[in-house]
Amino acid sequence: MPIASSLLKKPRLVKKLKDFYEYVKFNDGKVGTKTRGIDLNFNNACNLRCKYCFTNSPKGDHVKEYLDYGAIADLADQADELGYFEFDLQGGELLLQPKKLFKVLEAIKPERFYLYVTTNGYYLDKSMAEKLAQANVSRVSVSIDSMDEKVHDEIRGRKDSWKRAIAALEHVRNAGMDPYLNITVGHYNANTDHFKQLLDYSKKKKYKTLLNVAVPAGMWQKAEQIICDDKDREYLRKIRKEYKNLVRNIWNPFDRTNEGILGCTTVNRLYITPIGDVLVCPYVHIKIGNIFKQSLKEIVDYGFKIKHFRNHSDLCLAGEDKSFIDKFMTKSGQTIFKPAEAKNIFSEEDYV
Amino acid sequence: MSNLENYKKAFLSSFPIKEEQLEKLEYNQIDEWDSIGHMGLMSELEEKFKITLSTDDIVDFSSFQKGKKILKKYKINI
Repeated sequence: MPIASSLLKKPRLVKKLKDFYEYVKFNDGKVGTKTRGIDLNFNNACNLRCKYCFTNSPKGDHVKEYLDYGAIADLADQADELGYFEFDLQGGELLLQPKKLFKVLEAIKPERFYLYVTTNGYYLDKSMAEKLAQANVSRVSVSIDSMDEKVHDEIRGRKDSWKRAIAALEHVRNAGMDPYLNITVGHYNANTDHFKQLLDYSKKKKYKTLLNVAVPAGMWQKAEQIICDDKDREYLRKIRKEYKNLVRNIWNPFDRTNEGILGCTTVNRLYITPIGDVLVCPYVHIKIGNIFKQSLKEIVDYGFKIKHFRNHSDLCLAGEDKSFIDKFMTKSGQTIFKPAEAKNIFSEEDYV
Repeated sequence: MSNLENYKKAFLSSFPIKEEQLEKLEYNQIDEWDSIGHMGLMSELEEKFKITLSTDDIVDFSSFQKGKKILKKYKINI
């Protein structure tokens, strides 16, 4: 959520954010079935080879396919109508092809959304940051794996990726957008000095820190040992109180006690692939529709008929709910491009 | 409690600041008055004064001083 962006210049966004705020407030601090965000991967090509990429980009999966601008414009209009107020553009690495990215921005009309770009930061220099800010981008999220340059570069598969990512965050701030330092946290790094160094750096720099829990999906599909356990979760609860700049999508951002849980945001935050498939979130590779075949409303209505996505969950289904993971996320070959079809994997008892 | 006291209280319960800071306080001047904090403040004011702020007024509400002028439109004199 914004720390320095020009929210007050986006009246339509203010209206939707207020609706969301009111909904959550009157729903006991829970997200319920309120629409929140669209995560759009319009192209999956990337310049890095990250070990844990959830889109299988390093394997070259569907890197030549693009969602067309007309479809994106239509999607954004429908999303706006349904009250979605966040738009997260991700890939792949979108700054590999800036001309295409700016056309996508034009199609979305970012003045209606809290729009952000998630990037590895490699190509994000001062000039690019300024262009993004001019295009009404509110926030840029850059993922950092370690304060040890070598460790980060090794995970990312490219030299200098750490240096460029660190520099990118400063360019973002200087251009007037919200800098978010994204950290993936799993059983392998929670409660380690390594992780704490990242938290301290982000806090010192006054960035927001988005924590994404490690999920056994994509390149990590079979790696269940990465999943946070109860002790790790307890640690996350503890640091939420210590680091006020921390954000998790399942936490209630309006709760000033830093304890409230909004709930898992499957369907509240949809993930759209370059071929138009709609998944319930970026990490749960279950398809509930396709934007070329159904309206967004039909897809959302269908998604919320499935009780796993409608009912409140204190846990992130993809990264913390082992029972859900075992039942629905372990099919061999399940990826964003070969998702499990909701209509095939859920039985009558899974629907409300 | 006077309108001014109520108005100040809305800010003080929304943000971790001291009363002396209020007069010159502006949106985004402190980390806590971001978009999330803004929604909390608007809600607090709506509850305290039993009003519903329009979107335009929420957008215009950019400082402690500006807010006083906006509330006048709702017949709340501070």
